[in-house]
Amino acid sequence: MDNSGNRLYLNFGANGDRLQANDRTAYPTTPSTFPQPVFPGAPGQSQTTAGGGQSAPQQQPYTSGYAPQGYFMQAQYAAPQYQTSVQDYGAPAGQNQPAAYGQARSNTPGTSNDPNTGLAHQFSHQNLGGAARGAPYAPRGPSPSQRPRTAGAPAQQSSYSSYLNPPVPTQPAPRLEFQQAPERNPDKYGPNAHNNQKKCSQLAADFFKDSVKRARERNQRQSEMEQKLSETTDPRRRESIWSTGGRKEGSYLRFLRTKDKPENYNTIKIIGKGAFGEVKLVQKRADNKVYAMKSLVKTEMFKKDQLAHVRAERDILAESDSPWVVKLYTTFQDSNFLYMLMEFLPGGDLMTMLIKYEIFSEDITRFYIAEIVLAIEAVHQLGFIHRDIKPDNILLDRGGHVKLTDFGLSTGFHKLHDNNYYQQLLKGKSSRPRGDRNSIAIDQINLTVSNRGVINDWRRSRRLMAYSTVGTPDYIAPEIFTQNGYTFDCDWWSLGTIMFECLIGWPPFCAEDSHDTYRKIVNWRQSLYFPDDIPLGAEAENLIRSLICNTENRLGRGGAHEIKSHSFFRGVEFDSLRRIRAPFEPRLTSAIDTTYFPTDEIDQTDNATLLRAAQQARGTPGGQVPTAQEESPEMSLPFIGYTFKRFDNNFR
Amino acid sequence: MMSSSDDPLSAYNLPNPAPLWLNPAYAKHIVKGNFMTLSARPKTVEQGEWIAHQVVEHYRNLWNFVRVIYEKEENGLTICNPTTCPRMSAGGNHSYTWLNSRFEPIELPAYEYITLMQRWISGKVNDEKIFPTDPSGVSFAHNPQITTNGLLTGPDEWVGKRSGFPKEFLGICQTIFLQMFRVYAHLYWAHFVEPFYHLNLQNHLNSCFSHFVLTATALDLLKPQELEPMQPLIDLWAANGTFPPESKAYEYANLKAGQRLLQLGGMA
Repeated sequence: MDNSGNRLYLNFGANGDRLQANDRTAYPTTPSTFPQPVFPGAPGQSQTTAGGGQSAPQQQPYTSGYAPQGYFMQAQYAAPQYQTSVQDYGAPAGQNQPAAYGQARSNTPGTSNDPNTGLAHQFSHQNLGGAARGAPYAPRGPSPSQRPRTAGAPAQQSSYSSYLNPPVPTQPAPRLEFQQAPERNPDKYGPNAHNNQKKCSQLAADFFKDSVKRARERNQRQSEMEQKLSETTDPRRRESIWSTGGRKEGSYLRFLRTKDKPENYNTIKIIGKGAFGEVKLVQKRADNKVYAMKSLVKTEMFKKDQLAHVRAERDILAESDSPWVVKLYTTFQDSNFLYMLMEFLPGGDLMTMLIKYEIFSEDITRFYIAEIVLAIEAVHQLGFIHRDIKPDNILLDRGGHVKLTDFGLSTGFHKLHDNNYYQQLLKGKSSRPRGDRNSIAIDQINLTVSNRGVINDWRRSRRLMAYSTVGTPDYIAPEIFTQNGYTFDCDWWSLGTIMFECLIGWPPFCAEDSHDTYRKIVNWRQSLYFPDDIPLGAEAENLIRSLICNTENRLGRGGAHEIKSHSFFRGVEFDSLRRIRAPFEPRLTSAIDTTYFPTDEIDQTDNATLLRAAQQARGTPGGQVPTAQEESPEMSLPFIGYTFKRFDNNFR
Repeated sequence: MMSSSDDPLSAYNLPNPAPLWLNPAYAKHIVKGNFMTLSARPKTVEQGEWIAHQVVEHYRNLWNFVRVIYEKEENGLTICNPTTCPRMSAGGNHSYTWLNSRFEPIELPAYEYITLMQRWISGKVNDEKIFPTDPSGVSFAHNPQITTNGLLTGPDEWVGKRSGFPKEFLGICQTIFLQMFRVYAHLYWAHFVEPFYHLNLQNHLNSCFSHFVLTATALDLLKPQELEPMQPLIDLWAANGTFPPESKAYEYANLKAGQRLLQLGGMA
């Protein structure tokens, strides 16, 4: 993230926030010309022992938070310095009034910082004291015999006594010290405090991150508007520019403080189902605008340990403003679901296209692969590795151009992802009947001689595979599920497998069973095979082989430009690619046309209905009985900070 | 050697040792840079709309910290309770009372005060008549150079009127800010070490509170004298650059006192 030239930037110091690179210098503390440690005791300041007769060496830290000496010994009794301490007690019903009656702001005369009022108030607070920290005067008593203050009862007595015996301010003032910081001990608090600590820490960081981003975008809109204003002198036009701009900003602010909920949307159709939830085409009741709403089942996310993934997806979509990435408008949640309101891309996905057409010509392949290169590059520039690039995640907008979605597996570059899941899959027993070792070999042979029957089986089961928890592993780079670590170039491997599929008709490592696919991917040197009966240009094959290879040799390792300059793309103008006409443009009859989605293959019963039915069957009618502890669904810890609201919703 | 009357801090009658949060080493932030932009009303946005937005944002922020001291553990105990905090205090010099139904000021344990505060504020914020959310009612800021239907003055005009906010809206928001300020003051004076320092949330608290002060002063939702129990921290933040010189918070600060704190902390 390049923040140069912008006054707003963030300094999240803690654990691994990506924005922390340019921090650490929040408040440059130039070496002091006046050498003073944070906790003094510097030579020449012998006044530290003035109160309480403490004779401890100066460097020795105080054992309690209250060092007994008193810098303000004189100040307390000398009128001009004293005035501020008593204000509120001089007139408790004045400034201290409660808010509930709207009177709390009245100010009692004489409570301002007027040094002349000091003496008058000097004794007016004597009814105070006794509370913890309630009487700071107490430890400043002049008597060396006075015991150090303990929080609580003795304070009142001692504060009286100190007034009865005001000291004579002859000594030089003892220097003000700061309370000694105790050793940090978070373990003294219970689990709830720790939960709330996490919430607090994350929400406070999110607040600034989101606010800074919003302010930045708002300034951008402001200067765009000023540009427009400067282009016309027509007063009516100018007024309209101004008022429209103001209304949009105002509507966005209202939107920010309003809770969204699924009831605000009408479902038109369910356009996708997956292991963790579903995607619906919806229409907002208030303004009939059309969106794709992804809803994820919270309990499923829990079970499958998908929390980090959904968070990653929310983050990447919220940060991105790229034409290559599906736009996220808002996120919200209730007790059962997380919701992501996204732009609806009516062209469907590349998987559906491939199922329909089986193979593409080299020209058409060139177009899609070139666009996917740009899309992956955009994701990488955001600092994310997608890790799950596959035809199901490549959507087509109304012009037929590519956009990436489904960042559930994306990770910020620095984060280590837990490979255990894949490891277990890799080690795990095959789900097929015994003796399958042989059949693997047979399958391999069958597939490599392109047995159309097997391929067609695979094609039929594809969509089912896409909806399953595991998803298809066909496009995943081997280094992701071997434990050697991976980096950005794993997405280029996926690109190679998609290109293979576009030209050949099936992905290079496809098998009937995920485990077999995993094995084939790991043994890609043996299993990558280009069938003889399908003609393939030399440059196309060379590009595929430069992508489906070990990471050291993989094209794109040094950046997307390596791939763009491959001879397969000769003549492709990447910069204007998104502006040319796509080879396939969806033909739509309305804003809610779902022709390009296999809606007839998808059970149109939504998860909320299924959940309600399940709850009724279990005898918990009416859904949730909120637990006593829970204040609202947004505050349940794993899903905290999920909520997000983008300006471009109805407002641009 | 300095005599006390020369010391710009002496007027505050601070306890000695002074609270940890006045030590510049613990007055740091999770955010750096000038975040005035987060408080300043965008030119086209109507004042009432902006204030409503700020009230809601700051209330959410504050509650993130209150939650830590306010929520019960399994054993039913809270960090802020009538034993630790028998009064709604902000140091020895300040404690706040609530009016009972007979309009008498009563002292309450901080925990109960916060309960009443929370109930009262959320009652206002969630009231559609006071904080309207219907997008169709949104207006824009008047600009004499551009827009024609300008502001009236007098009893028939008030902040937020053109966006559908009621006449008492501004007063309610000022009271909300005052109540939030009192809670922040209590968090600092009574809970900065226990628990925020121990839970390593002190920088978060500092950032949210300094932003709160910047906003409250910039929008005239808090008056200078109402800042009093936290004045030395405001001075410190003016001196260490947290509050930019063009901000009202900086204007309200005693720079000398802040510099003195920096000096005492070895950071001058």
